[in-house]
Amino acid sequence: MKRILIVDDEPHIIRILKLALVNAGYTVDEAYNGEQALAYLEQHQPDLMITDIDMPRMNGRELCLHIRQKLTEHEFGIFILTARAEMEHREWSSALTRVSFLEKPVSIMKLIVSIDAYFQENQPREEHKHAG
Amino acid sequence: MRLNKVFSAWNKERLGLTMIIASLAVIAVTVFLLFFYQQKNEIAHIRDQGTNLARVLSRLPYEQLVPDQGQQSALSVLKHGYTDTDFAYLTVVDTSGRPLTEISSPGVIVPRAPLPSDPTSWLGERDLSLGSSGRVVHEFHAPVFDTGRIAGHIRLGYFSPGFGLKPGQIPYFATFALLIFLLTPIFYFLLRREIRPLQQVNSQMDILIEKAHLAKVEVAATGELREFMDRFGQVIDSARTRIQQLETDHSGLVTTTKLIDYKRTRIESVLHSLPDSIMVLDESGSVGMLNAKLAALLGVRPAEVLGKKPLEWCKDQNIVEFLAGYAGKSFRSFSTDSIEFSPADAPEKTIVVTPYPLFSPKTASQLLGTLVLFRDISAEKVARQSSGEFIAHVAHELKTPLNIIAMYSETLQSEAGRTEEFMIEAANVIHDESERVSMLINNILNITKIEMGSMGIERKRVKLRDLLEDAFKDCARVGKSENLEFRLDLPRELSAVAADKELLRIAINNLLTNAIKYNRAGGTVELAAEETATSVLIHIRDNGVGITAEEQERIFDKFYRSERDDIRAKSGHGLGLSLAREIILLHHGSLEVTSKPGEGTEFTIEITKESDLLQQAV
Repeated sequence: MKRILIVDDEPHIIRILKLALVNAGYTVDEAYNGEQALAYLEQHQPDLMITDIDMPRMNGRELCLHIRQKLTEHEFGIFILTARAEMEHREWSSALTRVSFLEKPVSIMKLIVSIDAYFQENQPREEHKHAG
Repeated sequence: MRLNKVFSAWNKERLGLTMIIASLAVIAVTVFLLFFYQQKNEIAHIRDQGTNLARVLSRLPYEQLVPDQGQQSALSVLKHGYTDTDFAYLTVVDTSGRPLTEISSPGVIVPRAPLPSDPTSWLGERDLSLGSSGRVVHEFHAPVFDTGRIAGHIRLGYFSPGFGLKPGQIPYFATFALLIFLLTPIFYFLLRREIRPLQQVNSQMDILIEKAHLAKVEVAATGELREFMDRFGQVIDSARTRIQQLETDHSGLVTTTKLIDYKRTRIESVLHSLPDSIMVLDESGSVGMLNAKLAALLGVRPAEVLGKKPLEWCKDQNIVEFLAGYAGKSFRSFSTDSIEFSPADAPEKTIVVTPYPLFSPKTASQLLGTLVLFRDISAEKVARQSSGEFIAHVAHELKTPLNIIAMYSETLQSEAGRTEEFMIEAANVIHDESERVSMLINNILNITKIEMGSMGIERKRVKLRDLLEDAFKDCARVGKSENLEFRLDLPRELSAVAADKELLRIAINNLLTNAIKYNRAGGTVELAAEETATSVLIHIRDNGVGITAEEQERIFDKFYRSERDDIRAKSGHGLGLSLAREIILLHHGSLEVTSKPGEGTEFTIEITKESDLLQQAV
């Protein structure tokens, strides 16, 4: 079962996303800001991370940059789910590998479709990795 | 002083004195010439007489000259008939010089003197000195013959005319001197009469020079002088007219200069008072003028850069290159493109430099120079940036609750949302988030109105006690479920304030809502009021999570939210306190905060009492 980490400072968002993703057959873990997410990553290896940008402590941008630059052992994909529509966020995120940018409000159904598609695309590599 | 007087007297009477000296000189010369002439005449007379007499006597027979005893000599006859005062002596001497006979003036001794032996020198004349008196005698001598042989010589002596006046000459010379001396004053007065008009002119000219005032010189004169004075008067008249004209021109020029000076000062003061910094470059690209603001902006002194090209003083290379392009530009090639730069010593500033062509007022196509405008757009840039940030914040804050509502409603429509438990949760969440959106929109509208100055504040007499009680009741009802203790501590009498009731209510509500929201289980929320002599103080206290010192500096900023988890766990959009403070400031009041993390927070509103406002207004 694929493990997804949701990082968002809005409890309602985490609550509703978790409900939907669990229903879709994923295991879901949660963090309320970047620092909590990094603490989680020290112990766990998720298959995908969904993160907001505007968060206290460590924001989504800092979190993504840290993961891609420092925690290179983590190869999971990142879905940025944010209400921030500024161009600069699209720009920095497009410079990172395996990062998708989704702008709120987003339909949960579409999000689940995107997640499923992501895992479909990355399936062979995952198998190859397991085999190796 | 005395010497000056002497000089001035000399100057005045110079003519008279000169005349006297001149007449004396003329007298002396005339007398000398007359005297000289008489002397010469006399000598000629003596020679004439002497020579003739000597010859006549020489022809007389010897016997007549030297008669025998008892006979009368021709000489003695001559002596009686000859009374010339110049006559000294007459003697006949033999060839050895011994006198044979002689006659002489009284007291005269005939000097002994040898006679020439050479026959060619027998007839002649010579000067001899009389030994006794020292007088000089002019002697004529001639031979005397006796029967064809030389028998002796005749010597005839006359006194040489002496240097000095003879008594008989004195009246003659005195008459001449008197005549000349009498003519002198006549000449003097005649001359004076002729000169007087000139002197008058002279003294009047002194007055002209001293008083520097040109007036016609009035002089009683006749003839050529009259004509000269008339011409001179015309010259003075024309000079006076010319001077008057020059004076008029001068006063006109002074007025014009003053006017130009005033206009220049006015233009300069306008240029110096302009909110923007400006510089004028002449055709060669040198600085013709710059105002104090620009000097301060570029860190130069106006006097140091005037007449110099930017290359010589401007530190910013971009500006130098940019302005160098405007030296000697023609009207056609003039570009009004502008550039932006940040001064080296104020990199946070953004200055836009825009050139404008300065056209000649007479020939529109002729370029007189360039007006360069330096405009500080830092504030505009910040405002643009912050308004952009504000909009981004608003969009984000609106999207977040809308996103939650959308997700919950979407889930409600799906299989997963069909449980009763979820439906209740969804209903609550959607209600709360809708409230959040609505409150956010209200706050944004109010803040924007206040900031843009379009919020019409309706100040009326507000019974503060009623308003505080109402606000407290509302908040206690809403917070009933929060397990908090609510306290209201108002004095029995509370002065009225002049305020916009609705706005003041929003400010107090926002503070009370925060006191509830950021409290802790079993905490208290207290609303208290007190009065000072001039104002009313409203305290909103809680013993909740508190605010750190760093946070206190930012809590009134729009959209500021603490990074702390316990605060982030509560929904909020960071506008409540900002709006509350804007409202209190709009009432000329103040909103202060004191807080300790973990112990609680107290907000204090201070508003001036209505009576004091009235007094201030009076």
